[in-house]
Amino acid sequence: MKDVNILSIETSCDETSIAIVKNGTEVVALTILTQMDTHANFGGVVPEIASRMHTENITMVLEETLNKAKMKVSDVDAIAVTYTPGLLGSLLVGVEFAKVLSYVYDKPLIKVNHLIGHIYANKIGDNLKFPCLALIISGGHTELVKMTGDYEFEMLGETQDDAIGEAFDKVARVIGLPYPGGPNIEKLARDGEDTYKLPHAVNDDSYNFSYSGLKSSVINLVNNEKQRGNEINKANLACSFQTTAVEELTRKLELALKKTDIKNVIIAGGVSANKYLRGKIKEVCDKYEANLTLPEFIYCTDNAAMIGAAAYPLYLKGEFADLDLNAESTSRIC
Amino acid sequence: MTLFIDTHLNDVVIILYKDGEVVKERVIEDVKETSNIVMPTIKKVLNKSIPDSIVVVNGPGSFTGVRLGVTTAKTLAFSWQKEIRTITSLECMALSTDKTNKIVAFSDKNGYYIGIFTNDYKLVGNYEYLSNSEFEEYSKKYPVITEVELDYKKIIEFALTKETLNPHEVNPLYVKKIAVEK
Repeated sequence: MKDVNILSIETSCDETSIAIVKNGTEVVALTILTQMDTHANFGGVVPEIASRMHTENITMVLEETLNKAKMKVSDVDAIAVTYTPGLLGSLLVGVEFAKVLSYVYDKPLIKVNHLIGHIYANKIGDNLKFPCLALIISGGHTELVKMTGDYEFEMLGETQDDAIGEAFDKVARVIGLPYPGGPNIEKLARDGEDTYKLPHAVNDDSYNFSYSGLKSSVINLVNNEKQRGNEINKANLACSFQTTAVEELTRKLELALKKTDIKNVIIAGGVSANKYLRGKIKEVCDKYEANLTLPEFIYCTDNAAMIGAAAYPLYLKGEFADLDLNAESTSRIC
Repeated sequence: MTLFIDTHLNDVVIILYKDGEVVKERVIEDVKETSNIVMPTIKKVLNKSIPDSIVVVNGPGSFTGVRLGVTTAKTLAFSWQKEIRTITSLECMALSTDKTNKIVAFSDKNGYYIGIFTNDYKLVGNYEYLSNSEFEEYSKKYPVITEVELDYKKIIEFALTKETLNPHEVNPLYVKKIAVEK
């Protein structure tokens, strides 16, 4: 069969990224321009500034990607773009850009869900095996999904309130860590011990998650100690929080492994870059003799290669979008 | 042949200009979702032809609207390797009035973008964004033009006298400050 090269575009948050992916599994070229340093000045992503920077940089990111691949846009077979979920203004820049390329070069346009992209990050190197349990953990999502084949999803459980990444970021802010909060909690937790008693979410038989209770208890603890004039051991608090937050995930994953007898597990989303979390999930998988697949580190955070990987099954099915494609800030996988 | 793109407020304006004349004009008023409309409208207007140059209104105006127009225009110019030029929304207004006092302004509901031009359409000072009350005070003192019928032929003619830009460097002009800049 002829090789299929997809030019893919990702601008859902604060990374302008373009890739060329061959047959959904091989990255020919990838460029990721992160705006993290700019947003760090404001203590978090400023949506309007993120959109502005996408417009400023996107044609240069394309040029660099084409140069790396030694290809022209006319050489690829399709244009893929993240259209949901994410910051609306940021998504719109990528979607408009993709539509222009699709029009000028007369290539089919493929719309890709960012979260499905995170799952298909595991397809790079061809490691996605079905059936599998997919744990999607990011700043906006905490979901446990069962996959029986390409684009065949069944939602087992999801967060009832905050996403795990959101809880990491808010706790980081409360204990005075700079943006990005999640990685800084992980770093600080390495120097700490699990000494603070934090509440676990209700231990029920569902696959649902909850993080707002844990987040609030950390905020209350910090405020109470401040009022009493007590110093907080930040490293210990970061460690206790991270331990409890990850236990919530492993408990539900263990339940699913026990009940479904599925032997493949993948983790996807920005929080999957957390090494402590990876270790704990590996322990659970080993216990049930399940095969754990992790995306390569570079494909954990937002990148266009995963969008190209997720677009490939849609290309084979001929599921193409029209030039009136719009961006959507929120969406579900299933 | 020149493709003109203006999406700086609620209307989407796509024009084809050739040999000193507007040969095709599509104005879609009060668009709610600009993103749906821009590319399909351009496709219809071009009808498979490829222009020699592109002119885009790069603001000020609705942030998202301006960004869509500019992203579209710079990507078209980059892909086709065609000339690209920008013109501002307030230049368009100044070019469309015969009055000698060319103080032009338009509202985005929360306030007014304003620009002062010489009779040969050079900007005096900088563009400003005034709150509704500041604008009310200002317009008591000076004659401000807020309503003009845009003369696209004249606007495109004028834009074509400007220098061409590198598509990478074509960017929106926002003027109005956002919360974190204040």
